[in-house]
Amino acid sequence: MRQRNQKPFLSYFRRNYDMYLLLVPALIFITIFNLVPMYGITLAFKDYNMFAADTPFMSVFKSPWAGLKHFIDIFGKSDFKSALANTLIISVMKIVFIFPIPIAFAILLNEVRNLRFQKSLQLVVYLPHFLSWAIVAGIFVVLLGSTGAVNTMLVSLGFEKERFLMDNSIFRQVLVFSDGWKEVGWSSIIYFAAIAGLDQECYEASRVDGANRFQQMRYITLPGLAPTIILMLIIRVGNIMEAGFSQILVMYNPTVYETADIIGTYVYRVSLGKLNFSTGTAVGLFNSLIALFLVVSANSVAKRMTGKSIW
Amino acid sequence: MAEVRKKFDLFMIVNITILCLFGLITLLPVMNVVAKAFSGEGPVIAGQVLFWPVRFQVNTVRYVLTQPEFRNAFSITVFVTLIGTAIAMFLTTSAAYPLSKPALRGRKIFLYIFVFVMLFNAGMVPNYILYRSLKLTNTIWALVFSGTFSVFNLFIMKNYFESLPESIEESARIDGASNLVTLYRIVIPMSLPVIATITLFYSVGFWNNYFAGVLYITTPKLKPLQQYLYDLITMALNTTDATGNISGDINSIMNLSGENVRSATFVVSTLLILLVYPFLQKYFVKGVTIGSVKG
Repeated sequence: MRQRNQKPFLSYFRRNYDMYLLLVPALIFITIFNLVPMYGITLAFKDYNMFAADTPFMSVFKSPWAGLKHFIDIFGKSDFKSALANTLIISVMKIVFIFPIPIAFAILLNEVRNLRFQKSLQLVVYLPHFLSWAIVAGIFVVLLGSTGAVNTMLVSLGFEKERFLMDNSIFRQVLVFSDGWKEVGWSSIIYFAAIAGLDQECYEASRVDGANRFQQMRYITLPGLAPTIILMLIIRVGNIMEAGFSQILVMYNPTVYETADIIGTYVYRVSLGKLNFSTGTAVGLFNSLIALFLVVSANSVAKRMTGKSIW
Repeated sequence: MAEVRKKFDLFMIVNITILCLFGLITLLPVMNVVAKAFSGEGPVIAGQVLFWPVRFQVNTVRYVLTQPEFRNAFSITVFVTLIGTAIAMFLTTSAAYPLSKPALRGRKIFLYIFVFVMLFNAGMVPNYILYRSLKLTNTIWALVFSGTFSVFNLFIMKNYFESLPESIEESARIDGASNLVTLYRIVIPMSLPVIATITLFYSVGFWNNYFAGVLYITTPKLKPLQQYLYDLITMALNTTDATGNISGDINSIMNLSGENVRSATFVVSTLLILLVYPFLQKYFVKGVTIGSVKG
């Protein structure tokens, strides 16, 4: 270690220049597409005029400073506040109702000793993860429409038809369910792998001591899974500002803006719909700063509690 | 002993029932769409189609397949997926190798840059402005570049490279191979499983991305498949709104063939993934269990 550090960098570089060469394409790419746009963030503090210069990007330089005006403005807007509230409500609903299901699913599936059954069920439940949100939204629009299977069944059972995609009182539940439908199976993989990594001798020993399946689940599988569960929960909570932009943008419509408009969709409509680029940037910046803080905190909490981290 | 045995069976019956229910909940929505795609128009409009086609026919599917807009969107997506995945794999593999070497000087700084880029994005508006200034909007390259390069995939690959035995590379270097030769001749051939996995992750990402199209493409000829589907859905959802008649429903207001055609379009668009998925599933699963979480 010491010997390496003492070598002059130039001779090290001469022998290993190709290692740095390998990094160049990726560095150029993120410079153009990730770092340069960072300058565009100043839009949040400016009054943007897209045509102040030759290109929209150069116009950012030319536009006059506006201070914190846009940030003060957005906090006076009720649609921004409702988007912020919706983001948190939808995220929390998803955590409460979806997060535990993959854990239960992995534990239950692990109890099945028939390998063919196990494999075929996994094949089925992992599939929706690979469908795009446009497809999944399409499936649910067909399923929940007035002539969809769900309404057909409701009517034949003597109930009224339900306007699932147009009704503020039920649309969030539709969002939670369809997100669960898409991701529950896939999320179970990590728990399934964790169960497979548990010490099999514990199960043997407990069987000799007369433990039944419930006791094995309660006293061996669940405690063994605890570190993974805690880690995943911390990561999930750290991502609370992401309530499902790709999902909501394709599934929502003006009748349910009240309950389903989240920060991401709000930014999209304000900036590309109403062309308020400065307001859109301000809201986006507000959101990504909170998200950054939460993710970094989540990572350090995870590191402290489980010794594992995301990066 | 007999009692334990009996309990065990009851548990298994309940367990299998719950699990089958899981499978059914996953399958039934898909079956509803497939059934509608292959049913006659009449039964679909009357809401008689549940999970099996009524008055089976393939004309709707045939109609979708001959739509020029659909075919065009499909080929745009195929092109973007192929080119995008190739570029992304080149960038990812190249960068992952040096980053996997703890002895690389300045490695920490590079890692910090990549982590920062992963955690903090300039946002929708600055990105849009950059793409417009570079004259990338309404070109196919907007679709390629907005999906290229995921730091997350870079880290999966880096972690995999780190797990390879150092001794083989060491002996190659003693034989006089440069780092580049070592990467292409030794490391990549040893890493085919992770390369397959990451290639699949990127391809699915390109294939499924609809927002790049929505944000950057307005020219109908350049719309990718997922944006075509997005337009189809938002059109269906907003028809009701335009009338202002909230008590009406999405599908009743659409023209007669609407739901049939939409279902068939969703089915045809999913077909390719459905066909390859069973064979590739194990590579996907591997991606989750290799190095997505650092030990």
